[in-house]
Amino acid sequence: MRIFYLVPGIHLSTLSMPDSPEHILEPQHWMERYGDYLFNFAMVRLNDREKAEDLVQETFLAALKARERFMGKSNERTWLTSILKRKIIDVYRKKYSARESSLDAYEVDVSDGDFYRSENPFKGHWMEGKGPNSHSLLPEGELEESELAGFIQQCIEGLPPQLGAAFIMKMIDEEDSETICKELGITPSNLWVMLHRARLRMRDCLEQRWLK
Amino acid sequence: MRMWTRMMEFMSKRMIACDEASFLISYRSDHRLGFLRWWQLKFHLLTCHLCRKYARQIVELNRSMEIYKEQCTHESCAHHLSPEAGTRIGHKFEKELNAK
Repeated sequence: MRIFYLVPGIHLSTLSMPDSPEHILEPQHWMERYGDYLFNFAMVRLNDREKAEDLVQETFLAALKARERFMGKSNERTWLTSILKRKIIDVYRKKYSARESSLDAYEVDVSDGDFYRSENPFKGHWMEGKGPNSHSLLPEGELEESELAGFIQQCIEGLPPQLGAAFIMKMIDEEDSETICKELGITPSNLWVMLHRARLRMRDCLEQRWLK
Repeated sequence: MRMWTRMMEFMSKRMIACDEASFLISYRSDHRLGFLRWWQLKFHLLTCHLCRKYARQIVELNRSMEIYKEQCTHESCAHHLSPEAGTRIGHKFEKELNAK
């Protein structure tokens, strides 16, 4: 702390708390202002209406309790979202511990019995019908955007929970890999294999949908 | 000639199958591959049309996820709270708020 006395340009007052916070909390408007936003945020990540509704409610209540700790540095929405994010990660964690044993299967091994052949001369080759089929994953011509979103949503839902959690955190939340590894309790190599497996399944699933 | 055999041996030991190749394809959307890995993948892609398709599709998948992310944080595919759930949560919250 003392070193700041010596640094020119840094006045001590800038190191203490600001007198007037830039943002203030107005809990009475939270529901109308952020209810839908937070619900959508949770839905995209969990795809479970009931759970998402519960989390929105929990978020508001938790925020009300923690109101004194709000510094006023970020705006209300960012603050509420960060609380909701913690709650979503807790849900991911619970899903994990319910199937702890299956995590062991995700070691650093790229082979995957659902997609590659395991008998010897063709070990590691694509299984029949599991490799890419069509030239392009997306259909020719203009694509209905809402249609694409619907398919992606369904395919994410079809992923095994731990793969889904890693895939969403990486692709939608754009968390860096360190954070994901820490939150999910896995090693970086676990993570890259999991992302690979998630992409394998997403690709397969999307191709199947377009062919229908 | 011996040199040639040696080289072929060296190469065949480092050849990868589709499982590793597809892993590298996925891995390279977030990383730079090292020279050996890059070369192994290139060599595999030369000979495997399925993995060439796979590589193209993974690029498309990543792009679709971008579009999806853009859309779902905006209105067009957004999910909305049902009115019942909205009022339920609202009531519960107001009760807590007034209790304070």
